[in-house]
Amino acid sequence: MRATLAWSSLRRHPVRTALAMLGVAVSAAMLLDMVMLSSGMQVSFRALLTRQGFEVRLTPKGTLPFDTEARIARAASAESVLLAMPAVQAVSPVLGTTLHVVGDDGSAAAVFTLGIRPAIQGDYELLRGLDADAADRMVVNATFLARTGVAVGDTIVVAAGYDAQLRSWTARRRVLVSGEGRFHYLATGQAAAALPLSTVQFMVADAGTAPSDEVSLLMVKTQPGVDAEALRAGIERELPRVTAIATADAVKSVEQRLSYFRQLALILGTVSLAIGFLLVSTLMTVSVQERVGEMAVMRALGVSRPHIAQQVMLEGLVLSVVGAVGGLGLGLVTATYLNNILRAFPGLPAAIDFFVFEPRAAYQSLGMLVVTAVLAGAFPAWRAGSLPIATTLRSEAVS
Amino acid sequence: MDSCIPCHPIVVLTLACALGGLPRAIEAQGDARAQVGAGRVEDVSPAPAGALRTIAVDERLVADRGVRLGDTLTISATPGGAGERVVVGAIVRRAADPSEVARAEYRVRLHLDHLQSVTGAGDRVDRFAVAVTPGSTDAALAAINARSFGFRAHRSSDVAAQASRTFAVVSRFNRAIGVISIVASAIFLLCIMLLKVEERRRDVAALRLLGISRRTVTGAVVIEASCIALLGSAAGVAFGYVASAIINAYYRGLYRTPLAFSMVTPGTVGFAVLLSLALGIGAGFLAARRLTGVPPLSLFGR
Repeated sequence: MRATLAWSSLRRHPVRTALAMLGVAVSAAMLLDMVMLSSGMQVSFRALLTRQGFEVRLTPKGTLPFDTEARIARAASAESVLLAMPAVQAVSPVLGTTLHVVGDDGSAAAVFTLGIRPAIQGDYELLRGLDADAADRMVVNATFLARTGVAVGDTIVVAAGYDAQLRSWTARRRVLVSGEGRFHYLATGQAAAALPLSTVQFMVADAGTAPSDEVSLLMVKTQPGVDAEALRAGIERELPRVTAIATADAVKSVEQRLSYFRQLALILGTVSLAIGFLLVSTLMTVSVQERVGEMAVMRALGVSRPHIAQQVMLEGLVLSVVGAVGGLGLGLVTATYLNNILRAFPGLPAAIDFFVFEPRAAYQSLGMLVVTAVLAGAFPAWRAGSLPIATTLRSEAVS
Repeated sequence: MDSCIPCHPIVVLTLACALGGLPRAIEAQGDARAQVGAGRVEDVSPAPAGALRTIAVDERLVADRGVRLGDTLTISATPGGAGERVVVGAIVRRAADPSEVARAEYRVRLHLDHLQSVTGAGDRVDRFAVAVTPGSTDAALAAINARSFGFRAHRSSDVAAQASRTFAVVSRFNRAIGVISIVASAIFLLCIMLLKVEERRRDVAALRLLGISRRTVTGAVVIEASCIALLGSAAGVAFGYVASAIINAYYRGLYRTPLAFSMVTPGTVGFAVLLSLALGIGAGFLAARRLTGVPPLSLFGR
């Protein structure tokens, strides 16, 4: 009965009802987007960091991975210390640098290069060809191949630098492009290559000196069941010259840097809820105002106050729920569009998403909107339920 | 290279900063990025006694770690490496550079030869900033690149454009959010206007029964809608100014920068007012046409 009356009342003004539902739908879409944005980075970044099972990362003291050009000195010694710790399952050292692919005509293309140990690396996934498991084998990504015109199986010349006085490339080396890989932590459109760590350490060392014993990063895989935070603290005690970062810390650091988006999500989510609230409450207030006579008649016929109030609240709820359900679909479309914009952030790993859909986000948005609708309908419902019957009927009859 | 005037080599190298004699919390800070070159010197102490060289420190370091002018620090190229004692000779404030907004690390500034010596960089620098005579940038660029000494010259504007790509992305994102907000506001405004006009059913019916033409009634409703839209816009602009001031105060404090994060420009105000006026008039017109199309007695519910 209540539902039928509520539905009839909404159908009486189809344009108004449709506009209100559309307004709630846009608010719901915005709310869903903001809920997705507020947790998306965290979910996406955590998934990226834990994908290869490395729970702790070691960087030069006070830095984040690859945030500066600083390197960890005496890397071999640090690795030995780590491997001696019972909680550590494996250690993957990584040295990042820029090498130059030198063409036959003397032209050169700068390429971000990682020195890794192929057997225990978590930076790329080999898509085809052979891994960089020999001194002069190189794995590259698709951008590298497209930019340089090189094919898997080609032999190329790479150099570590350029001596301006001698006008020649330094630390030149012929390497075989043995495979193509997908690099997890690199930005879209960034050309990248991976060589064995020892090769890169040899190339970046000053001419005539021993190979460098430096790395940019040490990634640590923990034994099953080990508390990463406890291990992190233990590593920092053993190796005070490094900063150990557990996945949770890394996620926190990234969140701090991108806190703008969380704050924006909070503000815009609140604004969306406020707009939804105002829209429903205004509409219901006016609707009740228009129907005071009708409600007074119902009351005079014996319909109870709670019945009238529930009918009004039900109208608000129907507006909100129908609008919100439509808004969830709209929200997913806009989230995809907004995510594509933000993924163009320079330097951001291509695998990172800002808007990640989780069923929890949809339930949260829907729940918040339903609560808002109930609150928005509360005042008009109370007003409708508390109309003085005789006075209202008299004033309606006079007008 | 006739167009070039003497230039300053600028080196940007990573420098680990072991801060001897300071609270332990500072030692944990580790690396700082040192830049020698530009920067506004806030205060400069007299030349320090003895042979110790001076460095300039970031005012953030002063605020966070209590470093003061005249303090003696130890700096080293690697964490825990052999250090060199230096005296804080100046405190510098960072330029308002958007590309550094979210970067939390501290910076210290050394003279070029000093930094080269501390880091073992020898005679190497990362880049040169070259000042050219006005209008001769292209010629200077071509002349430098023609020398091909293993480096490449770029326009400062190109470097700035590259560095500000982050902000271009943020700007695109904000624009997209703005469009969604405008759609939501437009629907809200249309709804309110529709309700506002429908509230006047009886007035409109009375006017029509008195012989007032549909055109006049529609005009009156549209004028009323315009006034509401204008008053709403004025309130919105005032709210926008206040919100902008709050946003700027918050983010300037958060990121410790004098940059403006939100700007209410005449263009923005004009766009918002015009949009609101257009929506108000449109909604008022549509609603009025609906009402005046109905016979007056029907509007009275008879």
